[in-house]
Amino acid sequence: MQTDEPFRNGAGNRSVSRSHRRGTFPSPRGADTPVIADAETLSVRSHRAMGTEFAVYLDAPDNVQAQACFDTVFDEIGRLELTFSRFLPASELSRLNRHAGQGPAVTDPEVFQLLSFALDVSEKTGGAFDITVGQLTRAWGFAERQGKIPDGRELAAAREHVGWRNVELDAKWRTVFFARPELELDLGAIAKGYAVDRAIEVLRSAGVSALIDAGSSSIAATGQTFASGWKVSVASPMDRGVTICEVELGARALSTSGVSEQSFVQGGRRYSHLIDPRDPAPGTYETARQALQVTVLAPSSVLADALATAMLVLGHEHGSAALAHFTDCSALWIYSDADGILCMDHHWPGHFIA
Amino acid sequence: MDRREFIGITAAGLGAVALGLEACRSPHSIAPSDWVNVGVIGVGGRGQHMMRMLLRVPGVRITGLCDIYEPRFAEGRKVTGEPTAIYTEHRKLLEARNIDAVLVATPLGLHAEHVIAALDSGRPVYGEKSMGRTVEDCNRIRDAVRRTGKIFQVGLQYHYAPWYREALRRIAAGRIGKVTHIYACWHRNHSWRRPVPRGQEAQLERLLNWRLYREWSGGLLAELGSHQINFANAVFGAPPESAIASGGIDYWKDGREIPDNMQVIFRYPGGQTLEASYITTNRLDGAQERIFGTGGSVVLTHTDATYFKEPSDPYSAVPPELAIQRKLVTGPTYRAEQPYHGKGESPIGGEAEDADLLACREFIDCIRNRRRPEADENMGWSEGVTVALGNRALEEGRRIAFSDYVGTAVSTSQQPSDGNTRS
Repeated sequence: MQTDEPFRNGAGNRSVSRSHRRGTFPSPRGADTPVIADAETLSVRSHRAMGTEFAVYLDAPDNVQAQACFDTVFDEIGRLELTFSRFLPASELSRLNRHAGQGPAVTDPEVFQLLSFALDVSEKTGGAFDITVGQLTRAWGFAERQGKIPDGRELAAAREHVGWRNVELDAKWRTVFFARPELELDLGAIAKGYAVDRAIEVLRSAGVSALIDAGSSSIAATGQTFASGWKVSVASPMDRGVTICEVELGARALSTSGVSEQSFVQGGRRYSHLIDPRDPAPGTYETARQALQVTVLAPSSVLADALATAMLVLGHEHGSAALAHFTDCSALWIYSDADGILCMDHHWPGHFIA
Repeated sequence: MDRREFIGITAAGLGAVALGLEACRSPHSIAPSDWVNVGVIGVGGRGQHMMRMLLRVPGVRITGLCDIYEPRFAEGRKVTGEPTAIYTEHRKLLEARNIDAVLVATPLGLHAEHVIAALDSGRPVYGEKSMGRTVEDCNRIRDAVRRTGKIFQVGLQYHYAPWYREALRRIAAGRIGKVTHIYACWHRNHSWRRPVPRGQEAQLERLLNWRLYREWSGGLLAELGSHQINFANAVFGAPPESAIASGGIDYWKDGREIPDNMQVIFRYPGGQTLEASYITTNRLDGAQERIFGTGGSVVLTHTDATYFKEPSDPYSAVPPELAIQRKLVTGPTYRAEQPYHGKGESPIGGEAEDADLLACREFIDCIRNRRRPEADENMGWSEGVTVALGNRALEEGRRIAFSDYVGTAVSTSQQPSDGNTRS
């Protein structure tokens, strides 16, 4: 494979390319593919978890260390899936969903801090990001990946059990309490980003340069090898073959959300799984005012994930205002308009191509 | 009598495992005297995991962290969410007054030293499995528990998993007939190696990758097999009487001293067999126990149990009328027993919970209510010596008779009575 060709050809809509390196590079496709190092000691392996594919790129001193890094990182991601999955009944999140409606439920500091973080983002984004949106998502059929328009009564019933302000966190006792018993937490929008952060931490403490790409929507790096000299291409939501711009990650993490992940069309309107928690009906994306895709750069992957979701809901105008609450964050909105696509940004550092 | 002064553990019998109510208990309602402050000796990956589990139990605080690797303190404090006191010497931690109970999660070869010191300090102890690295270590820990009378729970968390307990109950009730054979495997595709910070390989390799070196590790049989061995010992009511083993360092030739694959066959006093396999190069089969009885089978995994009935006539593939007619029919070989590919029955419903959390909840409940844990020193000893002697069989390349090392087998039947598991 030639050096400048993108080698990340997954189902996602971004690609990571090496801009200045030579030599071949293996495809990361396939779960837990064997470690293959090229002449520059770069290694890549991918692993399926959290409903997506985590690809890890390493600049490790040797194959033994690379293998140890891969195994340890994937163990850590597995631990986090067992903690934050709402699909696994034995997860801590499932336990809280079962018990926190009955009374204050104690959880460990890691879980408590992630929930606190989520509520903080909810507050700063005016509720555009909301981890309690689960019942609404279910009413719209997106939880089962079978989108449908719910009837009014169904929607009203779901809305009774939604709202981040109904999650009461007590830091003194480390408890979680649902003011509405049927409330349900869903960390699907940020668990992947949190896992990327933790994985980066593991690799940083090992002194290894690495890049992690979770399903091509959450990407972060540590160490000089990947933080500069590697570019992330933001592809057009209309045509994945078209690159809108390229950015270097530096010390920041990148996250992309888009309506193309899950949506359905009915009556000439497109309905997306990214439901506006403040609005009884999900956004429609036929008008120029609705973003098709948002990419965010933030100091952590978990924040980038949360903001990508919130910025898609808020749009450029309100989103830019909300970003004033966050330090060192940039965002790129992509809209459709009569001429094709329209890009709007907030402190976006990337070089525009399209 | 103050809980901290309690020393008399009576044979309370099996059963009263902490119920779901404990999980939902509001921390506001827990009296200050019922809060349990835990000191942790060994703040590595397993220690941190168990700290998180303990902190999910209402009324628990981690008040001391002991390790000899400095980065563990920051990691441990991140887990506790507060500037927890740190110690580089376990005896200093045990001298602290604000510690009510101790979690020992150090390398296996250090379990005996740390568990016994903690027991001698007068605290209840949760000691990670395997109980001890050698038979002697297991004996010493068991004797210390008996001598001090302190609560000791060994980290065999699956003993508290509802589906494991239900399987034990059904097997004891004869629901799959007479169990003659258990096949256990823990197959993973994994180096079992942790990354060592660049430039510090010489100093830190054996510390961070202690599992790969003989000095501290019991290898795959200890780290993975102990849960499965514990289950087999419970089903068969005793530790094995002999072991033969095979294995080696055949794939991960990276300087490790511990085999990367191992197979052990344990023979039990009642004529039953546990056949256990551990590999690190393929994960198709994952971790599971297949319990074979004359009337059916159970397949246990880390998340569930599945039951299979035996076909009604497993003995003959030849129509019985041929015997009556006193003749045989010749032809191509008849179809031998084929593996069963159908679905089994998975009847255990109720609330699924993390086995580690269940074990931690039980430990805390035992402390508060002065109960003896089911996973006590006897269960731990039985598991520990089985692991140690299985490893010895591999190291010496010969059949090991348990009676040469542990004397008369001790009954370890741990099958729970009715009504003790969560529904």
